[in-house]
Amino acid sequence: MADNSIKIFTGNSHPELAKLVANRIGIDLAKVVVAKYSNQETSVTIGESVRDEDVFIIQSGCGEINDNLMELLIMINACKTASARRITAVIPCFPYARQDKKDKSRAPITAKLTANMLTVAGADHVITMDLHASQIQGFFNIPVDNLYCEPPMIKYICTKIDNWKNAIIVSPDAGGAKRATSIADRLNLDFALIHKERKKANEVSRMVLVGDVRDKIAILVDDMADTCGTLGLAAKTLVENGAEKVYAIVAHGILSGKAIKVINESVIEKLVVTNTIPHEDKMAICPKLDIIDISPTLAEAIRRTHNGESVSYLFSHVPE
Amino acid sequence: MILFGSFSFPFYPIFFSSSFFFLFCLSMRNLIVFGGSSHPELTAAICRRLGICPGKTKLSKFSNNETSVEMHESVRERDVYIVQSGCGHVNDNLIELLVMINACKIASAKRITVVVPYFPYSRQADVPFKPSGAPLTKLPPATPKYPPEPSHQQEDIAKQVLRRLAQTSLQDQKPEEPKNRYREWVARSGRLVADLLTCAGADHIITMDLHDAQFQGFFDCPVDNLISKPLMIKYIRLHIPNYQDAVIVSPDAGGAKRATSVADRLCMDFALIHKERRQIVTQKTDLMLVGDVRGKVCILIDDIADTSYTITKAAKMLRENGATKVIALVSHALLSANAIENIDQSALDELIVSNSIPLDPHINSPKIKVFDVAPIFTEAIRRTHFGESLSMLFDTKHDLL
Repeated sequence: MADNSIKIFTGNSHPELAKLVANRIGIDLAKVVVAKYSNQETSVTIGESVRDEDVFIIQSGCGEINDNLMELLIMINACKTASARRITAVIPCFPYARQDKKDKSRAPITAKLTANMLTVAGADHVITMDLHASQIQGFFNIPVDNLYCEPPMIKYICTKIDNWKNAIIVSPDAGGAKRATSIADRLNLDFALIHKERKKANEVSRMVLVGDVRDKIAILVDDMADTCGTLGLAAKTLVENGAEKVYAIVAHGILSGKAIKVINESVIEKLVVTNTIPHEDKMAICPKLDIIDISPTLAEAIRRTHNGESVSYLFSHVPE
Repeated sequence: MILFGSFSFPFYPIFFSSSFFFLFCLSMRNLIVFGGSSHPELTAAICRRLGICPGKTKLSKFSNNETSVEMHESVRERDVYIVQSGCGHVNDNLIELLVMINACKIASAKRITVVVPYFPYSRQADVPFKPSGAPLTKLPPATPKYPPEPSHQQEDIAKQVLRRLAQTSLQDQKPEEPKNRYREWVARSGRLVADLLTCAGADHIITMDLHDAQFQGFFDCPVDNLISKPLMIKYIRLHIPNYQDAVIVSPDAGGAKRATSVADRLCMDFALIHKERRQIVTQKTDLMLVGDVRGKVCILIDDIADTSYTITKAAKMLRENGATKVIALVSHALLSANAIENIDQSALDELIVSNSIPLDPHINSPKIKVFDVAPIFTEAIRRTHFGESLSMLFDTKHDLL
């Protein structure tokens, strides 16, 4: 048991999630004002003492990513110079996670740069969800907890999708096969894969289905849905191959650009995303959008980290 | 000085033999200058003077607002210079700069020098002021409001804080907790930005007119803090008629050293405006003029003009004390919030700024003029690349620019 208390700070990226997490733990959010000077520089004013406290800063990599990243770094640094005992950065959607390898000449590995920046700013611990590649944990010298959205997704499938026993889990690309198979094994369902040939970034060409989806409910599982080109084409391919209905469950619903339009016009029955990224404005214009709340998982992780208990429970169960 | 054109040879004694020319071009081939998206005109001006083309890059944003950087030229074993100013969308430009440094570092550049004409986050945060000018001594903590306000207006920090306080005071119905003796303070991010630049991979920093010269100590790598004083002095000599009869004025006590060094160099008189806090209870501040400006042209010298409250208040006071004309010479013109309207309506006759920060093309104010600092950066880059001394850039006796 720790003798200091938990302080949860939030930036401007996703204050609703922070409020849910704090409610779940049973405390109030700590007082902080994060604003911008007139010349666009970020200003952080911490409103309570953090000396020798266990500080958790919740900030997601969404919206104005660079602004939110700078807010996070400055808050971490402010708490460090204010003698916090330990500073944990809780980043539900890790920014720049897709730029994690040098795949062409002179490409930056921005994920590594972000990891370095967090460490230099003074973070002692990072909690994140469904990293694009779990090897990103190796970019850090500090401990990283990569939580999984899989238990909440499984709970959603079992409770909200009718006739799920007749479903088939489909991965929209070869890279996500491992993720999809682990869900399929857990639910004892069949598995299929869509193999795509990509010509340019954010533009998909041909899709080939491997497996049989005739007369089944297809559930597409992926970690990110950005422009939703992949999902739209995958759904079309599945329906052309005889699937009855198509659901899409995605951990991080970035939904930028024309994504909502693509989803509304596609054959997808429902697009289910977690609330690692705020979605209020998108719910209004997209009737097919459904949200899984992952704040219980984050709250449990924070509580267990603070008390020094094991977090492994969260890798296979959803806290009630 | 602006008509100097592309690079010329006067600094190198020997050189018209073809072999040296060949070697010269070879080592110029090792130099590459990239520009960020904050100030492409300055990068183009610097490269024109150096006689090279700016490095080819593609800088944009992905659809989810992440920064995308593509370097389209090889940097292996080359001396890389990245020019990015801390203006406009400061956080976007800062992250873009960090990603560019990182891209060059892992592409095996020999040395990466960051040229930042205006260094972001270099000022210590000011205590917010009330609209009347008195400082807000107590900043009651405000809980964040949900959903957050769309913060796209360039509002002064004091107004933002006051607005949020007003909203939360309407929300909070429960009685105030006993005051817990905690004094709120605003985070100072200068050290953090220095650490970020170093951890991204910068080996050398070149900047101009840092707000605090001690900022150089925050870095572990070498920092060249260039000065725009020689260019200011040249401007005064060339463009202000009868400058010997004018008075150099510093708009606050902190800038006195800067203003006196200009005044001494030009053998001009000096005056100072002092913000005196008379009564501790009411916290009213009075501006006091130290020195005599009756019947004279006044030249205000300052390093940064952000909201322009300082120089416009100073101009008003100088006019009230009998100055005939007020000219302001400022190193970095951020001109945020409603600075342009303030300046148009103020007692200032002219505002002369450097081009370390790009001026909004929509600004058509007749009062604002620009002096070019590209020559200073070009010289600094060239001398750093060839391993020569930069001392003459700090010496106002040399009129090379």
